Amino acid sequence: MTNILIQGLALSGLYALVAVGFTMIFSVGRVLNLAHGVFLMLGGYAYYTAVQVFGISKGAGIAIAVLAGAAFGILTYTVLVRRLEHNPIAVEISTLILAVVMQALIVVVYTSAPKSMWPIVPGVFRHEGVFVSHNILAAMVLSWIVLGGLVVFVRRTRLGRALRAVSMDRKGAVISGIDPHRMSLATWAISGGLAALAGVFFATYTQLTPGMWVAPLIIAVAVVVVGGIGSIVGSLVVAHLIGFMETVTTTLVAAELRGVFTMVLVIVVLVIVPKGLFGREEL
Amino acid sequence: MQLRTDRALAPLFAALAIGVAASLAHDARAVGDPVKVGFIGSFASDTGRSTLRGAEIAIEELNAAGGVLGGRMIELVSADTREDVTEGIKAYEYLNESENVDFIVSGSIDDVSLGWFPRMAEYRTPTLDTWTSYIGLIDMVGEEYEKYKMYFMNIACDYALGTLYVDFGKDVLGKQMGWKSTVILQEDTAFGGGVQEFIAEIMEAEAGIKVLDTIVYDTQTVDFAPIYNKAVALEPDFMYLISSVNSQVPSSQYVKLQVPVAMTGINVAALGLDFWNDTGGAGGGISTLSPIPAVGMELDDSSKVFAEKYRAKYGDERPVFPHFNGFNAYHGVKNAFAAAERAGGFAPLDDWVREMENTDVKLYKDGEFWHRYAYFKPGEIEPRTGREFVHNIKFDLTPPYDDGAPSMVVIQWYTDGTAKVVYPPKYASGEFSIPPWLQ
Amino acid sequence: MPLARPLLGWLAFAVVMCLVPVFVSTGTVRILVFANFLAIFAMSWDVISGRTGYISFGHPFLIGIAGYTTAMLTYHLDTPLWLSIPAGVFATLVGGTLFLLPALRIRGTYFALVTLAFMELMYQLTQVIAPKVTGGTRGLSGIPTIVSGAIPNYYLTFGLVFAIGLGLWFVLRTRIGAALAALRMDEGAVAASGLSTIRLKLFAFMTSAAVAGIGGAFYVHYLGSIAPRGLFDINFLFTILVAALLGGSSTVAGPILGAYFLTFLLEYLRPYLPGPERYVIYGMIALVVYVLEPRGLHAILRTGARRLAPLLARRRIAP
Repeated sequence: MTNILIQGLALSGLYALVAVGFTMIFSVGRVLNLAHGVFLMLGGYAYYTAVQVFGISKGAGIAIAVLAGAAFGILTYTVLVRRLEHNPIAVEISTLILAVVMQALIVVVYTSAPKSMWPIVPGVFRHEGVFVSHNILAAMVLSWIVLGGLVVFVRRTRLGRALRAVSMDRKGAVISGIDPHRMSLATWAISGGLAALAGVFFATYTQLTPGMWVAPLIIAVAVVVVGGIGSIVGSLVVAHLIGFMETVTTTLVAAELRGVFTMVLVIVVLVIVPKGLFGREEL
Repeated sequence: MQLRTDRALAPLFAALAIGVAASLAHDARAVGDPVKVGFIGSFASDTGRSTLRGAEIAIEELNAAGGVLGGRMIELVSADTREDVTEGIKAYEYLNESENVDFIVSGSIDDVSLGWFPRMAEYRTPTLDTWTSYIGLIDMVGEEYEKYKMYFMNIACDYALGTLYVDFGKDVLGKQMGWKSTVILQEDTAFGGGVQEFIAEIMEAEAGIKVLDTIVYDTQTVDFAPIYNKAVALEPDFMYLISSVNSQVPSSQYVKLQVPVAMTGINVAALGLDFWNDTGGAGGGISTLSPIPAVGMELDDSSKVFAEKYRAKYGDERPVFPHFNGFNAYHGVKNAFAAAERAGGFAPLDDWVREMENTDVKLYKDGEFWHRYAYFKPGEIEPRTGREFVHNIKFDLTPPYDDGAPSMVVIQWYTDGTAKVVYPPKYASGEFSIPPWLQ
Repeated sequence: MPLARPLLGWLAFAVVMCLVPVFVSTGTVRILVFANFLAIFAMSWDVISGRTGYISFGHPFLIGIAGYTTAMLTYHLDTPLWLSIPAGVFATLVGGTLFLLPALRIRGTYFALVTLAFMELMYQLTQVIAPKVTGGTRGLSGIPTIVSGAIPNYYLTFGLVFAIGLGLWFVLRTRIGAALAALRMDEGAVAASGLSTIRLKLFAFMTSAAVAGIGGAFYVHYLGSIAPRGLFDINFLFTILVAALLGGSSTVAGPILGAYFLTFLLEYLRPYLPGPERYVIYGMIALVVYVLEPRGLHAILRTGARRLAPLLARRRIAP
């Protein structure tokens, strides 16, 4: 029981971190970023290059990854999304093409050989035959801090309130003098940075491969769909629902059915409660 | 609406005209005299590159020695599959229809080889596979010999690998380590399923090791901690991992979590020298079964020369040292051409197949038999398993391994970043060991 | 009379395509076969997504159902093709109904995501459920083919493209096509005008599924093998989507054009860039074309033709 609790919490924290940037972009810009997984992948590869190839310190490596993610977010928004913003489907398609291009680019630069990364926080936590790496505990704590910080940011700061205003009522926000494009730009930058951060942890957990963007995208889609697209709190809760479901499936039911259950959950929720369990389309 | 559609067709014609013009230009490229060898495999994976480079070096040597089949030069044409099944089929078609190759050397993985297999039967192009070890392919050759006889597999098939692995279980895991029980962690793939069935069946009967449970896991699993917890709770003497798709994930998490039970098995990522860097030095204590010639294996003179040429030519470009299939491609291409010399070319097919079946190249190291490139003929029964392995490389499953090389060796990674063969004793240069945190 | 000109266009298209194998190498013909299949898949996608606006991210799911059904029937039970292919198409129609269920309640992005989930689920299921029958992750190889050789397969697949294209064109130029387009613009208005949106959707979904099923079944019997990684894959989905959109959605010629363009683009890069760089260039070109003109090549060429036409006309008038 204890191990399910600890491991479920840890995995859920990671999933929440993976999904939150995806939620933000939908909430503010009403578009899905199918290149979200690529943001994670870039974060992972940037960290790997900085720390394991050039030997820079881990802290600086994380900073570089986050900056790279934010920069790529800004780039994606200004070059691609801004032109197509009136057409959400076009944004989805073009970000999907972007993802495939980036995957090919990673293959060219890094080859398709998988690479594993050192844990950011080494060591193992043991308790009555249960073992959890410090690394994933760190990811869990970090995700709480980041998500908590995000809620405070959205509710308390000027920029955050403006973002929230745009996500609730775009026209209203424009009337009150908020520039929605600047807000979108900020969202893409924040989302890119958060995704890259998540990517660093995700990659220290699994491995770096050019195809690694698909798994986090599916996780983000699952979390966000079930939670209700656009709701941060909903995403948080559902990340835990899915994280625990996976842990329970792997431990108690049958490890090979892990992915099947998640997909069934997504389909059932979309068909029965299309707006998700917490379906409010605002931050 | 009607007007719209007929105008709509105009661009189609335009595109078509461009396509036709381009292909006319394309076809006009000079078709010379050289013998053409096609490579099919992934350009970006370590295994694909190993095969490609092995073939490149063999061809360079053959050309430098004055060419083949009466002084003709060999030209290598490559087609990328990016390990995608459909791209593999397109690549096979390209090599045959657009490039008219005489012979194909492949570094494909299981489903990619299965994908182009029907095309091979259609084009009847001599094909040598160096990476997939799937016995299903060998069985297809055995069952429909006329249809698939142009196929040769230059690596012992998985069934043979598994059979010999049982001896390792008996000799090392059972006798030397005194282990009596295991939990199998199997990836949810066809490869994993096949190996698991086999291992579980004979581990107990032949090696006296009880299989407490088999945990089948999804290859997309992010967190292996629950799986290791579940396995450890059963208190086995060791865990047996079967992983080919994402083997760095379970093995690196095993090291990061310092799971308190020893683990061995099949870990495809650990087959190359780059493994150490890829894991950031966290590979110590990992052991895996490997086809031969494996990393950490002492080489015969001809293979040593090849490895030196390889290092000189490709330097730091990964893989920094050829995987087993690099050696098999190098020797295999040379042997395929030797067979072609004897048969008078790659066509007629029957002649080349006959000569390829008669191939018998024995390699010696320090005067002792080391490796053999020969192939099982139709109807030939392998004594230990009592079954056919038509056109699989000849292996020997019983010591002292003088009829062929053993189908596999076990390699062990140590914490100082070296890898050595630990089984069978004839090829061993190191000792099987458990991870440092368990010692 | 208004029918004559477009029909003439179709006829000319058929004649030109039938002559192609005379002029090009068999290597090019092989590429055309893949292009033909992609054209069928893209046309199928366009019926459901281009016309009605229900974006399907799960088309490989529909194609895969037909492919797997006919592959398993012929491989394990030696079912004759004339029986197994219709069985595959029928199975896809059932799958299409599964698509319809969520479409009764959700649309746009939500619908796209649920269909994506269908594809992922299918990928998982082929591996977990009865791997002995489906071939598991490795799939099945040695499935009977209908005809062999590049040219017979070319005529077979072009015949399919032509029949499906012409059939769709006939159906979609009627009031049904207009009603489907209206469904995309404003579903409420269609319902208010007394048309049954459910029946319209059912029609679009069944048509799309039937085309996907025919394409999928013939595809598998062309390849001679089937594997989950080649089918239920985001790269396969990407190719179908991009072919339809790059060509120009909501037209019949667009998806065909897009399919030929994409397939040839990738193949003609091969001699110059044999390695992984090929996919970067390929994707970049697709991305640039799509971002600059989301209505696709079809629209680009039409605008080009329209601009060119007066110039040509002027020249003709001027002595």
